[in-house]
Amino acid sequence: MSASPLALILEGRKRPGRELLAEWVRTRRLSNSWAAIALVVGFAAMLGVQQVIEPGTMRLLSAVFMFVALAQAWNLIGGFTGYASFGQVAFFGLGAYITAVLMNNSHLTFWLAMPAAIAGGVLFAVLIGLPLLRLRGHYFAIATLGAAEGSREVINNMTPVTGGGLGITIPTFGDQAPTPYFGKPGFYLAFLILAALSVAVSALLARSRFGYAMVAVHEDEAAAGAVGINTTSVKVIAFAVSGAIVACAGSIYAFQQIEFYPSDVFDPSFTVLMVIMVVIGGSGSILGPLVGAVGLELLSQFLRINLGSYNQLIFGAIIVVVVVFFPQGVVNFFRDAWRLRRISLLDNIRRYRL
Amino acid sequence: MIAPSAPADAPVPILEVRGLSRKFGGVWALRDVSFAVAAGEVLGVIGPNGAGKTTLINLITGHLRPSGGHVLVGGIDVTKQRPWVIAHDGVARTFQIVKPFRGVTVRENVAIGAMHGNHRDRSVREALETADQILELVGITHRAGSAPSELSVADARRLELAKALACRPRLLLIDEVMAGLRPQEIESAVGLIHQLRESGITIVAVEHVMKAIISISDRIVVLHHGSILTSGTPDQVLSDPRVIEAYLGHRFARRRAT
Repeated sequence: MSASPLALILEGRKRPGRELLAEWVRTRRLSNSWAAIALVVGFAAMLGVQQVIEPGTMRLLSAVFMFVALAQAWNLIGGFTGYASFGQVAFFGLGAYITAVLMNNSHLTFWLAMPAAIAGGVLFAVLIGLPLLRLRGHYFAIATLGAAEGSREVINNMTPVTGGGLGITIPTFGDQAPTPYFGKPGFYLAFLILAALSVAVSALLARSRFGYAMVAVHEDEAAAGAVGINTTSVKVIAFAVSGAIVACAGSIYAFQQIEFYPSDVFDPSFTVLMVIMVVIGGSGSILGPLVGAVGLELLSQFLRINLGSYNQLIFGAIIVVVVVFFPQGVVNFFRDAWRLRRISLLDNIRRYRL
Repeated sequence: MIAPSAPADAPVPILEVRGLSRKFGGVWALRDVSFAVAAGEVLGVIGPNGAGKTTLINLITGHLRPSGGHVLVGGIDVTKQRPWVIAHDGVARTFQIVKPFRGVTVRENVAIGAMHGNHRDRSVREALETADQILELVGITHRAGSAPSELSVADARRLELAKALACRPRLLLIDEVMAGLRPQEIESAVGLIHQLRESGITIVAVEHVMKAIISISDRIVVLHHGSILTSGTPDQVLSDPRVIEAYLGHRFARRRAT
């Protein structure tokens, strides 16, 4: 074989990991690290805030952080990988119930119950992912919706373990408590850390070979398989990471609520909110779900406080308007506008509608 | 276990299909097709529309499951393996209807092949470097930052080829990369294929463009109604009256006679 340039390309290089790491360090610039820096600065800035704000604001921000994590999780499977799950709340409810059952029935500390909830989420994702991720589009959406409804009914009917429809209570005070209650500042911190971790995990995945594999699966599975991507494992892993984050959120939420019912933590509106936040923010990006979750949760709370009984109506109307004007998501709209050096809502509607 | 069909001292063919068949409903798209491709060879596969050419490629790469028969790559049975397993064995392909990953740039499209294909670059950065080299090789460096949807037909075909090459195949299956191209573009594609075979890649080319397939193939297999009609060197095949009747038509036969 000749040593033509082509032959050398085809040969490929086999460089040691040490060399790659050194090169990675050497090539860090402000232009390729600003997102990571912004995340760390944002996280640090929010760290001390719970010392100075009112309890109500603290509770509001805790909810915002939780939805950031949920939206990032949904985006991994629904945005990047292109499998729109309408059953992610199953992981939330499962995480909540595993935590509550272990703390209440087995008197395990929260610090053991939460990892167990995450493990349960991963296991459940693999179990239902292997059959369901063979379905596409509407069929996958309906099947995951069914899986979530089904898992709620299972929890509802396991009365001896879960308390069934009567709900479950986590002992949080006195000698009975396996872990003392965190209080508002504690849950603020817990959800803040979860949000930061979920953003970091999503960002790292998105920039890795796995991230490109998710995009390839999203675009065309036959073509992805042809370039050597194991489409089955990409889909199942994306689903499992998503499930793990949601289950963790459910676990913390359960401890925060102390007492809840199956219909609370398996409420389909959690799934709906995840989908809306990602779609409105911009799916398949890291900033999109972040903007969508923060924006919509703050908006919804603002409307609830200021508009009284009309708040849901107005909230819904705003969602409709935003989806009409930014069908590709707010973040992707501004990214396009920046690329084309032109901001026009009308052009945007035309481009994505007709 | 499958018994070797050749004597023990003969080199193992890089690709061998034995009795390969595929039925769609009640119709045999491919029936009992057998042939072997030696390392370094360029095999042309021709046949009229519906002869089973694309089905053949889909069966070899695992995108379709055969109803019967076997596929061997380098002497190892890969029948019913999943597409990515076969890709990791060093078999890359293009799709007749181009299948770019639309959400990412041309450069990233090729990098996806480089990072997940045969040798696998170990980082995204390495894969992007490989992609740049391959884009230059196929001549679409100037479109590296474009979205795949902005490419012309010819450039989209080049991208399809670049994605396959990024997997660093030892066996490349190309499905009609020249259909619908202008004469100049065909010429440059033919040049590229010559370059690929010189670097040691074995090629199986399904092609409609007769002039192109004659100039690149060492051997040609003619498919007709899902079976092999005949095979041989381009000259042998093209002078076979059955081929002329089944596929080429009288006009082409007359032109070759003069």
